[in-house]
Amino acid sequence: MPTKSPMSAASRMPAPLRPTRDPQVTLDDLLEVVLNKGAVLHLDLIIAVADIPLIGVNLRAAIAGMETMLEYGLLQQWDADTRAWAERATAATPELEEDERVVLRSFGGHYGESGLSAVWRPGTLFLTDRRILVYRREPREVLWEARLEDVEATRLQSERTVGGEDRLRVRVELTGGDGALLSAANPEEFDESLRRLAPHVRSREPRPPAADDEGPEFEGHMWYHEPRRGGALWRGGRARLENGRLTWKSPTDARPAVTLDTGRIRDVRLEPGTTPTNGLDRLVVDAAGEHLVLATAEGPRWARLLDPSARTAAGKELHGHHR
Amino acid sequence: MSGEALYVYALLADPGDGAEPPGEGLDGAPLRLVRAADCGLAALVHEAPARPYQGPDDDVRRWIRTHDEAVEGMRRAAGGVLPMTFNVLVAPGEDGDAEARLRAWLRANRDDLHDRLGRLRGRAEYRVEITLDSAAVPTDDGSVQEIEERMRDASPGLRRLLSKQLDAQRRAAADVLADQLHADARRQLSTIAEDLADRRRATRNPGETEVLSLALLVHDDDVENLGFILSELQESHPAAQVRFLGPWPPYSFTGEQLATPATTSP
Repeated sequence: MPTKSPMSAASRMPAPLRPTRDPQVTLDDLLEVVLNKGAVLHLDLIIAVADIPLIGVNLRAAIAGMETMLEYGLLQQWDADTRAWAERATAATPELEEDERVVLRSFGGHYGESGLSAVWRPGTLFLTDRRILVYRREPREVLWEARLEDVEATRLQSERTVGGEDRLRVRVELTGGDGALLSAANPEEFDESLRRLAPHVRSREPRPPAADDEGPEFEGHMWYHEPRRGGALWRGGRARLENGRLTWKSPTDARPAVTLDTGRIRDVRLEPGTTPTNGLDRLVVDAAGEHLVLATAEGPRWARLLDPSARTAAGKELHGHHR
Repeated sequence: MSGEALYVYALLADPGDGAEPPGEGLDGAPLRLVRAADCGLAALVHEAPARPYQGPDDDVRRWIRTHDEAVEGMRRAAGGVLPMTFNVLVAPGEDGDAEARLRAWLRANRDDLHDRLGRLRGRAEYRVEITLDSAAVPTDDGSVQEIEERMRDASPGLRRLLSKQLDAQRRAAADVLADQLHADARRQLSTIAEDLADRRRATRNPGETEVLSLALLVHDDDVENLGFILSELQESHPAAQVRFLGPWPPYSFTGEQLATPATTSP
């Protein structure tokens, strides 16, 4: 491969970036992809040994993607062995004190806010007759713990995950002023059990989701015909119209794949053509430099909301809250 | 040979007689091809004891690098491979030694494997990661400068509070830019990539806002175009940091799990 492509001196185009295979730069990413991806032969003639404890537990656990995937329940994207390991890793029992009794145990996690980056650290949430603790088996670590007598109050609060779903979390407040944000398989059950064990723990009013008072003007499931070199493909996700901007995001993507200022929209129309399932409207949005093909069960409504002529004519129609 | 297993690196279209795999396998093991000549398929393997590789993390790192080098070397030599994950071993059994079983399996799956190999031929996996340096993202509303001025004469307590506000403002600005940049970059990359998959980053740095992390399946002829798109993104967004990794064997694009054949009666 040439190190530099021949470029005319007059060209304003910057030289193309060159990919690197330098292990100094790529090793972490390479580990992640080789361990988590690549083909696996699943058959009893051929043993596919991808069981994690065999290949460096600490290494796997250090791979960031895993925590997020556990937290957001995207485990089906993993091979069966990884999933089995993850289930084991979130299941064992921590060291208990003498006569300490486990009252409740469920999948759970601790939101690590101290340190350099804030991440959900998954493990098992234990409620004992003395403590709350979030425990991870592999690598073995008590991620967070508090004695019941130090717990002042709890608050169940709804949060929007990266997948765009609302999940209930448990905020635990301690008498010293510290606290923690925990996830639990069943937050209400955890909260009730805690209060039965420790009646002194107060229950704070749930805080409304942060974005509630300035929610989207309209939001709904939408298919996006995302371009690919070999032909576009339909992907499911959520479309939102908010603050003069249309966004579309797949639950598996970190950020929206579409963000379009509605002011740039030139034309919106419903047109015949293929859609991913029957009974959907095919919605085409043309904007400066963009051509979006969408499919939705609420085509006429979206078309009305996005239509540039209607928007200018109706003036403030969009600023009402259509929920 | 009894007790010997085969460690499988990759499957490929049989490159024909005389084509030998370049390089060497894990811990210097000699690489060779197991050919199922009648169906035009081959597997890149080395002979190994019938137990998985396990050991300290540093050993695993070294093995993964070698695994990747071996598969990538074969990909370049043969024009396309279906890469295996780490530690895929074929063991000998009652119905034959490891090599016979692997051949039989290749034969049984010939159509599916040819189909997958056809889609991957002449293509490699690339990783594109874009991050923003949150502190370098321009904030246009003047509120940042205002907070910075107030911080100058503030008490330590207030300064702590203001510095949190400042971070929040910067993060919010970086987030807005990140959403725009993500959609824009993704759209441009989609026109080059034949397939793409959202990947979580293996490492994270404080002060960085993650914009995009994608595995792309790209034809060899399109790699330079990809490079142009990325250098333009980099030029037009000074706060953006672009990482461009590869080429790798298409680990993220091997397709659905390979079929389990019907149990063979003894």
